[in-house]
Amino acid sequence: MDIKSPFTTPASGRSIPVTPAPVGPTLIDIDHVDFFYGASQALHDINLKIEEKKVTAFIGPSGCGKSTLLRCLNRMNDLIDGTRVANGQIKIRGIDIYDRSVDVIELRKRVGMVFQKSNPFPKSIYENITYGLRLQGRSSKSDLDAVVEKSLRGAALWDEVKDRLHTSGLGLSGGQQQRLCIARAIAVEPEVILMDEPCSALDPIATVKVEELIQELRTKFTIVIVTHNMQQAARCSDKTAFFYMGKLIEFADTRAIFMNPANAQTEAYVSGRFG
Amino acid sequence: METPRPTSQSDFLVNKKRIRVFGLSFDDAIKIFFGGNAVVSIIVLALITYFLFQEGIGFFGQNHRNLLTYRQAGLEYVDFIRTQESGHIALTRYLSDLRLRQYNHYIAEQKMSPAAANEALAKFDEFAAQYGDAVEPIRGMVSDLTEQATAIKTKFLIAEDKKTERQQLLVAGKIDEAAAVKIEAVDFAAELHLLTGILPVYKQTSAEFAKKLDAALAVAPKLSTPELMVRLDRFNQLTHDYLATFPATARSLETWDYTRAVPWYQAISAFLFGREWLTASFWQDWYGIVPLLMGSVMVSLVALVIAVPLGVGAAIYINQIASAQEQRIIKPSIEFISAFPSVVLGFFGIAVLGQSLRWLSQQSWLAWVPGFPFSERLNILTAGCLLALIAVPTIFTLAEDALQNVPKAFKEASFALGATRLQTIIKIVVPASLSGIISAVLLGLGRVIGETMVVLLCAGNRIAIPDFTAGLAVVTQPVHTMTGIIAQEMGEVVRGSIHYRALFVVGIVLFFLSLGINFIAQKIVRKYRISIG
Repeated sequence: MDIKSPFTTPASGRSIPVTPAPVGPTLIDIDHVDFFYGASQALHDINLKIEEKKVTAFIGPSGCGKSTLLRCLNRMNDLIDGTRVANGQIKIRGIDIYDRSVDVIELRKRVGMVFQKSNPFPKSIYENITYGLRLQGRSSKSDLDAVVEKSLRGAALWDEVKDRLHTSGLGLSGGQQQRLCIARAIAVEPEVILMDEPCSALDPIATVKVEELIQELRTKFTIVIVTHNMQQAARCSDKTAFFYMGKLIEFADTRAIFMNPANAQTEAYVSGRFG
Repeated sequence: METPRPTSQSDFLVNKKRIRVFGLSFDDAIKIFFGGNAVVSIIVLALITYFLFQEGIGFFGQNHRNLLTYRQAGLEYVDFIRTQESGHIALTRYLSDLRLRQYNHYIAEQKMSPAAANEALAKFDEFAAQYGDAVEPIRGMVSDLTEQATAIKTKFLIAEDKKTERQQLLVAGKIDEAAAVKIEAVDFAAELHLLTGILPVYKQTSAEFAKKLDAALAVAPKLSTPELMVRLDRFNQLTHDYLATFPATARSLETWDYTRAVPWYQAISAFLFGREWLTASFWQDWYGIVPLLMGSVMVSLVALVIAVPLGVGAAIYINQIASAQEQRIIKPSIEFISAFPSVVLGFFGIAVLGQSLRWLSQQSWLAWVPGFPFSERLNILTAGCLLALIAVPTIFTLAEDALQNVPKAFKEASFALGATRLQTIIKIVVPASLSGIISAVLLGLGRVIGETMVVLLCAGNRIAIPDFTAGLAVVTQPVHTMTGIIAQEMGEVVRGSIHYRALFVVGIVLFFLSLGINFIAQKIVRKYRISIG
């Protein structure tokens, strides 16, 4: 069967070389995690080590548990009644984030998140970016100004919005809004950025911009991205995890997953035969 | 061969089951039924508005005549002098208050027996009596003039009645009987001569009055504390100010002319800015909406001050913090409050709330609260508390809706940036729903300002502008409201009379007030919908 190489995409027209990455230090250690929504089990015995300063992609068909696992990493699932991690541990730098002593507010400052649908606050661009900083009590204007510029440059948005920082963030286009959300997330300087299908609501051009941005961000942040778009996973990520029915089926270097999957289900999924 | 019937191919689209009644299909009938309902509600609204205006608008003509009579019959003339007299009454009231303070001081601080205290006040009493008696000649004059003016007015009103009677007879075609109705024309110039003729006497009396007051002040005794002396000085000052108004009164009397026309706009301004609502009076009826408007506004304000924190706070708690279990209990409970008939609430207000508030106000440990203690158990505060109860469900339900409409994504984004629940509520959820909350408050206000039964039963029904000089204590005063006055007086008035029409105009004002509030609330909501996108 002829599998078209996912490393060349018609959308960008360019190929991004992905060299087999050396194994880096582990930042997040997901250790035998079972997760429940009420009585129904969403994750079964997940084991996964996410490496520092790498892009890790979670792929799999809808309902496979990849978003659930992502939201476990900054405990966003706490906001949903009746959810619990039943067994196992999730450790970041060796600390169990579900331990009673962990300050979930502090955790979320360290593990930022970008959502599927762009969700800037109904405030100005400037206020959107400084929101997280003000929460931390930082209020000096020069400090905030500097962070706003740095974050917007980091999110490749500065040139487009520098003249209208004080207009509403809701006035931006969809792609700009999503990059604003990324800028908002990196403004508080997290270690990890979780991205939950960040491009699923964007057009192809905006998608390319966000993907390029991810390539730049990987030098500074550890990124975990959930995506439905396998080509996107292939283009952007160093490591890929394939989930199915709440189980981790295969986790390996991205190139290996797409070119030479060890598991038959993985091969069926990445070649588009189901899912 | 028969001609071939049209084949089914040419009429397969024609609906063969169609039944028509009066040329209308079933679909048309449904459309007419629902459309008809909508039209009926619009027609009813239009009719209500129309009749409100139809009944009310005649008021201004009648009020203009009312004011004209006031001038022509010389009532206005007499009221110049009466104002002077009532100024003096206010001053003597100040004096008796002063005496009471001095008396209390003697009893409480100097431990005198009541008899001894009265003894010590003998000199003051003498002074007060001299001061109080000085007005007698003026008072006598006012009462004489009142009689004369009333007589003129009565004569005039009888003549008017006769005119109406004759008109009615003529309309009925009874020409002979109409001719038999005698109308005594009132010769205002001659009649008023009696009144205006008194001017020289008045001037003399007034001058003597002023002299007496001056003389009385000169013998004012010293009071025992500096604080009371300050009050006495203030009294001196007030008296001097009062005396300074005498020349103006005299001038008003001199220049008064009964033939001067009453401008048409005064019929409106006397209503909108009139500070008195006085009906069925032997002297002169006044229809000024200010005391009623003030009453309504004050009661509603107090209600909002109580209901806004309660309603909005409860909405925030239920929507953002409470568990599902709490929501199931609290939400219906708050909404259930609106199921109370307002007359039951009013009854509760009289029997329980007013009584308890008065009891509470008389506790010594609460004496620092402004306006405490009070003796009127029915007042702005009592009515406001009950109206708050009525406003809370409205504000709660609408504010909760507004909070519910804040996209969940905003909250998630805030939490993901490391915000606590409180920070998320204060910085994201409430600002994003603020216009919805404001319109909830406005609709609560609309609900409260139109409420009738509670204010009729619990506001105290004293027609007077609240005394704002009392500061916050103003809320312990009884008032009357626009809704209350309509409910109270509408049953007693003669249909078509000026009083009847005045009540309709009050209704119109109320109507526009509610309309305005609802309009603004809707505007805000619309703006809010757009901003969320």
